[in-house]
Amino acid sequence: MSNRILPLELIDKAIGSPIWILMRGRTELTGILRGFDDYVNLVLDDAVEYSPDPRDKSVVVRRELRAEILLNGNQVAVMVPGGTGPEDSMAARST
Amino acid sequence: MSSAATDATQAPEKAGSSSASEQNKRSPSDFLKAVLGRPVNVRLSSGTDYRGVLACLDGYMNIAMEQTEEYVDGQLTSKYGDCFIRGNNVLYIASQRR
Repeated sequence: MSNRILPLELIDKAIGSPIWILMRGRTELTGILRGFDDYVNLVLDDAVEYSPDPRDKSVVVRRELRAEILLNGNQVAVMVPGGTGPEDSMAARST
Repeated sequence: MSSAATDATQAPEKAGSSSASEQNKRSPSDFLKAVLGRPVNVRLSSGTDYRGVLACLDGYMNIAMEQTEEYVDGQLTSKYGDCFIRGNNVLYIASQRR
């Protein structure tokens, strides 16, 4: 009938795979997507957080949370299915 | 609630295609049931961390915690026996599973 794919269907297909989340502000996270709801609150396993160092905002700190997390959908800006984090981005490769 | 954002015409197709991933799916409400009463780390969008035992929470992510330790920029700054966190400040809730 239709071959349209709804945005959240795309995210549903990413369940069980790595996903890269860009938050409002400068925080980014990666992890294995376990599930989500209609508000796009996300459950991530083995999450890794990339956030600016509180002492020197130009430095990004990588933090392995080693746990399952529930991420507030309110703060989510962009999701990249299959993405493995800022180290993988064009900006990181060019430096 | 879970069907609110689903286009009604797409629902049968979605039910068929999601059955394979349904088994290892873990929705936010499943997560919240699993972490109630367990030690958690709550990160606010300001960067402040609250570690303690999750006493209860609601759909707004308002949180009541016990034996709470407050970490500002990674430094322990305060301890609270009981504390309440308004949900709009919450960036994530992490279980202390490992």
